Amino acid sequence: MPSFKLDDKDIDFLPGDTIIRAAQRAGVDVPHYCWHPGLSVAANCRMCLVELMPPPGRPAMLLDVLAWDDLHQTYVPQKKPKLQPACQQAAADGMVVKSQTSEHAVRARSAVQELLLLNHPVDCPICDQAGECRLQDYWLEHQASKKRMKDEPIHKPKGVVFGPTIVYDAERCIMCTRCVRVSAELANDPVLSMRERGNLNEITVAPGRQLDHGYTLMTEYVCPVGALTSSDFRFKARVWFLRSARSTCVGCATGCSSYTDFDPRNQKVYRYRPRENAAVNKYWMCDDGMLDYQRIHQGRVLEARIQGEGVSDAVALEKAADLIKQASPQKTAILLSAEHSNEDNQALLDFGKALGALQLYYSGRPQGQGDDVLKSADKNPNTAGVLALSGGRAKPFTDLVAALKEGKVGVLVALGSAIGNPNDAGALKDLKNFVALSTHDGPLADHAAVVLPASSWAEVDGTFVNRTGLRQESDRAINPQGASRPAFRWVQELAKLLTLTLPWKKASELRSLSQGADVSASSPSAPPPGGE
Amino acid sequence: MEPLDQELESSELELPTEPMLLNVGPAHPAMHGTVRIVMELSGEIIERCDVQVGYLHRGFEKMCERGNWSQVFPYVDRCNYVSPMLNNVGFALACEKLLGITVPERCQWYRMILGELARMSDHLTCDGAMAMELGAFTPFLWMIKGREMVWEIMEEETGARLTHSFGRVGGMAAPPTDGFKEHTRAVVQHILTIIDEVERLLLGNRIFLDRLENVGVISAADAVSLGWTGPCLRATGIPYDVRKAHPYLKYGEVDFDVPVGTTSDSYDRFMVRLAEMRQSARIIEQCLERMADKGPVNVDDPRVVLPPKEEVYGSIEGTIQHFKIIMEGLKLPAGEVYSYTEGGNGELGFYLVSDGSGTPHRVRIRPPCFLITAGLERVITGQMMADVVPSFGSLNMIGGECDR
Amino acid sequence: MSKALIELVKKNFPDAVLESHSQLGDDTLVLAPGRWKEVCLFLKDNPQSDMDMLTDLTAVDYPDRDPRFEVVAHLYSLQRGHRLRLKAKVGDRDGETVEIDTLTELWASANWMERECFDMFGVKFLGHPDLRRILTYPEFEGHPLRKDYPADKIQPLVQYRDEPNIDKVAPFGVDEGMSFGRQTHARNRGDDDSRMN
Repeated sequence: MPSFKLDDKDIDFLPGDTIIRAAQRAGVDVPHYCWHPGLSVAANCRMCLVELMPPPGRPAMLLDVLAWDDLHQTYVPQKKPKLQPACQQAAADGMVVKSQTSEHAVRARSAVQELLLLNHPVDCPICDQAGECRLQDYWLEHQASKKRMKDEPIHKPKGVVFGPTIVYDAERCIMCTRCVRVSAELANDPVLSMRERGNLNEITVAPGRQLDHGYTLMTEYVCPVGALTSSDFRFKARVWFLRSARSTCVGCATGCSSYTDFDPRNQKVYRYRPRENAAVNKYWMCDDGMLDYQRIHQGRVLEARIQGEGVSDAVALEKAADLIKQASPQKTAILLSAEHSNEDNQALLDFGKALGALQLYYSGRPQGQGDDVLKSADKNPNTAGVLALSGGRAKPFTDLVAALKEGKVGVLVALGSAIGNPNDAGALKDLKNFVALSTHDGPLADHAAVVLPASSWAEVDGTFVNRTGLRQESDRAINPQGASRPAFRWVQELAKLLTLTLPWKKASELRSLSQGADVSASSPSAPPPGGE
Repeated sequence: MEPLDQELESSELELPTEPMLLNVGPAHPAMHGTVRIVMELSGEIIERCDVQVGYLHRGFEKMCERGNWSQVFPYVDRCNYVSPMLNNVGFALACEKLLGITVPERCQWYRMILGELARMSDHLTCDGAMAMELGAFTPFLWMIKGREMVWEIMEEETGARLTHSFGRVGGMAAPPTDGFKEHTRAVVQHILTIIDEVERLLLGNRIFLDRLENVGVISAADAVSLGWTGPCLRATGIPYDVRKAHPYLKYGEVDFDVPVGTTSDSYDRFMVRLAEMRQSARIIEQCLERMADKGPVNVDDPRVVLPPKEEVYGSIEGTIQHFKIIMEGLKLPAGEVYSYTEGGNGELGFYLVSDGSGTPHRVRIRPPCFLITAGLERVITGQMMADVVPSFGSLNMIGGECDR
Repeated sequence: MSKALIELVKKNFPDAVLESHSQLGDDTLVLAPGRWKEVCLFLKDNPQSDMDMLTDLTAVDYPDRDPRFEVVAHLYSLQRGHRLRLKAKVGDRDGETVEIDTLTELWASANWMERECFDMFGVKFLGHPDLRRILTYPEFEGHPLRKDYPADKIQPLVQYRDEPNIDKVAPFGVDEGMSFGRQTHARNRGDDDSRMN
């Protein structure tokens, strides 16, 4: 394995790696602002400058500079090595690189940091980036001194609205062009560019346009300072109060890895952030996914209901058990949900099996727009999982509508909140024995006789299978809200009331059972839940 | 009631002969706060006793693990709460030892002066309380008046009379005020007069001497084995003072004596404290002379010390420095250190374990009077019940430090 | 400080010393727990070390390590003025068998300090004459300074001890009295189901 030395540490690298990339793989941080592993190299911040020792037999590349001699109070000529940006310098076998052990590199970093802060506004108390800001961290590590400029800092526009999701502050911007590159390379929409020159530089949107492509929040995510802020998250929470859970986005079937940031004191989720996953989403998430966290707190069913009226859990369970007993197994239908995790669906499957229910269907959210970057047209996180668990036996919702019309359904036990085609909701109106385990208000919760509030994905650990068949676990963030419980716990209670035995008792047993399903059995030709 | 003119055999009297169990409960005026002694008395003599502490246990060491290093200062203040400055300085020195920084000279003198003032206030309280418990109320009030004057200086300098949390890692919270030197000189003179008057009142009093001499004796070997330090150990004749044996701050550059006792009874402990106050006054005088009137009090390291407020509001670097130190806390390097100073009661040690993040992994406060109270059993067993009062008083058990 | 002490112990107990360092001037030795008392006795009696005072005995909890606890003792010699820190790693990951020999026969200060160590960490000192809790009350459940003891844990109310005429003592009955002591803060998260609960 070819390797180079960084500060007397051997770093292995893959062919084509730059010094900074190889160092990052090895867990060593070379300070940087404008470099990002998922974007092209710009090398404009000059923070990652390192000293390269000359190869054996070659003279060092030295520059003639003037150094201030304090003793003689005059400038004296001196030679200083030319420093190279680690983000652009390709690694070579046997290279000797000095980062922290080189006094030139240390001085250069301190100088770069000082220059970046020269005109920076004193905004930390009101800046959203405080607590996760590279300027703050690197100042303490690399500069730790005052700036020498005595003039008034330059003033530039603040609070410039770039688009429906992003607000720009030109004074805080360090012109690293990460946002420009994200828009051009990730979203294929080069709408941002830099304007003016010198210290009047600012980022600007193309004339007549807005920053409105599908990945605008990624520009905020890559911005190392507080120049680009999300108008959704602005001023809502301070990041040091937030804790992160390693979760999976449930906005569509891509299943990007994410962090769910929540405040444990008031049990609220404040935002998502992308989590690095080379197999699924690399470093990115789309806007729809990033803003999907709002669904955790909006439109939720938080108390048990009978005919739309709030009741206590025990009363609702009794009524639900009553309703389920009303029909024979041939006329009992189970509706799985592609919105819910494998554990929830497995629980309902086992329940159905214990009841002897013969009719099995699945539903989910309606289809949407996909693109060729990250988004999938199937807006359900677990379609593949549901089909695999049911062994391909679950039929689409349209079949349930047909069965309802023909009167073949006496009892329906449904999991989920949404159905593929809102026009089909009318078919549910006349069904009397309808029990729904829902997280949100929607056609299922509205038409059900008994609604049991289920906990959302952020309140329970769950496993989701994405469109390529990859099984991903999502950790829970907050406690179950209101009176909601995980759907499988409701199923357990119902089974107890109906004296049915389920093959699992503890949640961990349920998880291992649901993992036994062969994911490859989900046939790609099965229709997605939204219908054709 | 038997008639008085009849001679009775002692065997005819029905007197109980088993020892009496007396509970000198935690809420007792002579128990210096909250110590419970369960004693078995045979008449007046204590046959056995069980000293139970812990009624003031507030869980400091656990609480320290939940915040930053700078947030430990209010906790250590409330340990030995009669001489809080000594605790502050001790902890600050421990953190600075772990960081490897030394505060500027002016700060060292300042810390010494405030520390010795705190020591004087500690000894004034202890000796005053001892006198009061034996019935001499006047010297107590005089000494408390002296303590009030010390607290007035503290209020002037730090803003609080008792729990000032004034120490910081890398310096102090604020520089000395302008009138500090004159104020301190005046107060020290006054306290020396008070000590003279108290001596004249008490040391010739027959009752006072009888209640203290040869009461509460402990041998030097026992004291060393028990881990005693400070005035209680020095009263046994062993001249161990951390300021002389392992000088810290500028104690190596000032002249002072270490008073040592001979008979190791309560009287010696009383006198050692009285003499130490005079030595503290000597130290303060020398420090006041040598402390510069101008100059920085905090070390010049932005990782450790907060910037002045004009910079916080005026420049981005000041804001960032303020932000990082307050929000993320001081980051002491990973490692462990044991640092010790002379507290009011003896060797006050801090054993700090840091894991490199801003949160302490373990803050162990080695409380001098915990071990001294462990010796209380040995001191009062075999003594009379009434001797518990001056013996216990002379040990100067401070509940806050013993129980933390 | 004097590295001579470290050399002295290493020379006489080569297999008892697991590690040693002198960070920041504090000489430290990590000993095998089985040789704890032996080495301490040697240090106390040997005229070159002459450690006549045990200034501090405590423990530190490292929940990620195995053994989990570290018992730390600081020794000091009044005559020679040198110090030594001795450490011994004891205890399993669950904190069940945490045992080490007592030092009460060597120094009387060990008595209360070991009681405090037992109270706060659950370290059992074998041979201690009176190992009971010192800073907390006898009915206290748990060992507070362990890292898995939550700082906001509420202890259960203590049943009245066996007292004669208990009903003549206010509050009259176990259910009466002030209610504000009885609230619980966090839900109990005992079993492994709690994350999917």
